[in-house]
Amino acid sequence: MKKSWIIGLNTFKESLRKKTLYILLVVALIVIGASKAFSFLTAEEELKMIKDVSFSSIEFFGALIAIFMSLTAISGEIEKRTIYTLFSKPITRQNFFMGKFIGIVLILLLNFFLMSLFFIGLLIFKKSPPDIQVAKTLLLIFIELILIGAITLTVATFASDAFNIIFSFFLYIVGHLISYGNQLVDRTENFVLKGLGKILFTIIPNYENFNIRDKVVVGIEVSRNYIFKTSVYWFLYLVVILLIGSYFIQKREV
Amino acid sequence: MSIIEVKELTKYYYIGRNKKIVGLENVSFNVEEGEIYGILGPNGSGKTTCLKLMLGILYPTSGEINILGKDQFNPEMKKNVGFLPENPYYYDYLTGPELLKFYGRLFDLPEKIINERIEKLLYLVKLHEAKKLPLRSYSKGMLERIGVAASLINDPKILILDEPTTGLDPIGCMETRDLLLQLKKEGKTILLSSHFLSEVEKVCDRIAIFHRGYLLATGGLKELIDRYNADGLEDLFVKTIEEFDKKGEK
Repeated sequence: MKKSWIIGLNTFKESLRKKTLYILLVVALIVIGASKAFSFLTAEEELKMIKDVSFSSIEFFGALIAIFMSLTAISGEIEKRTIYTLFSKPITRQNFFMGKFIGIVLILLLNFFLMSLFFIGLLIFKKSPPDIQVAKTLLLIFIELILIGAITLTVATFASDAFNIIFSFFLYIVGHLISYGNQLVDRTENFVLKGLGKILFTIIPNYENFNIRDKVVVGIEVSRNYIFKTSVYWFLYLVVILLIGSYFIQKREV
Repeated sequence: MSIIEVKELTKYYYIGRNKKIVGLENVSFNVEEGEIYGILGPNGSGKTTCLKLMLGILYPTSGEINILGKDQFNPEMKKNVGFLPENPYYYDYLTGPELLKFYGRLFDLPEKIINERIEKLLYLVKLHEAKKLPLRSYSKGMLERIGVAASLINDPKILILDEPTTGLDPIGCMETRDLLLQLKKEGKTILLSSHFLSEVEKVCDRIAIFHRGYLLATGGLKELIDRYNADGLEDLFVKTIEEFDKKGEK
């Protein structure tokens, strides 16, 4: 674990040098800041608007950061050939993979912290300090971002960057449309399609599980039980994904 | 006593389902403790593939590698091995000391020891004055030298160097040669890959000649020269390769 942590810190430092990160962060902060522009609305509506836009921006730009940073975390080491020196050291390939994962989590944490801080600052400025529901929403967004990053990182252990970017975005979109997909599957009468659909929508991560912002914005309380169940779902999914990544990095020729 | 044993090592690279390229074919050799063993061969002869296989960077198609009594993937074995890749590529945003610290930590070395070794190694490779510069501003020769320092951060028993003088000027080459001989005196075993014959001739106790993935000859330099009735290393090199190519044509 110590060696993974050392590699993770180095990955974090390396990610900090990527321009994409800053561009996405700045655009996210501009969008969050722009939500305050709806001053023609009533105070309550404006607050809803700030929350809605901010939650969506933190999630969407966070997802872009998770995908872009994870995409090149492994292929970058192979292309620059730094992986040769690294693999000659007394580390396992699992140390390397977990180190990359830790680095991605750290970079997501930093970006998430900055975006959330800006959003909370806006709420305080509007004299509506964040409550526990806001905290729950942010927590679920953050763990969703970790999962998105872990999936992209895992796919990077066996696929090309080009495939990975298409796959990760496809999964991000489909993962948010699973409830619609399930409705379609329920309506179909073809057994084969129904079976395949059920399997597919069970395997694909249900990112909508992490989306409670629509409820929180309109003041509907989300129970602790729901947060707990979603966290368990996240944890199990994450463990499986990381195990798959560890398996493929072990097999990979560099 | 053999410190490195390579037995019937084969590596094929597959292109598609049917086409395979030979990286190494049935290669066997031993490296004795305390010697400098040179792997010679033209470009694409399998030298780097062999070293990468020995360090567990690549997977062999078949064969066995035994280093210090352990297989090539064993992290405990790697604690005693230093590696300098060909044209070393490092994290260019780090400074020399930061790079050495990063690698030192991967060896589980105490911070105090790492810091002491960094100081010593930077003087050894004459980079102490470039301490604060990021690696992206290093010249090719400086990168090669920081690579040598990085390969020594764990004070290894075995040093594996892939083309250590590539990109160095004549003085740099001479200094590297002297360093290798000094390290040998300190009891280190060195495995050196190179296509610079003069360099190998001056430092190596025994050599291996690789060509197209095959090990053509291995042994002491004098022994091989006598065996092939050659007039020096260059002649030996040309003769073994030509002989192999002629057999291939037949």
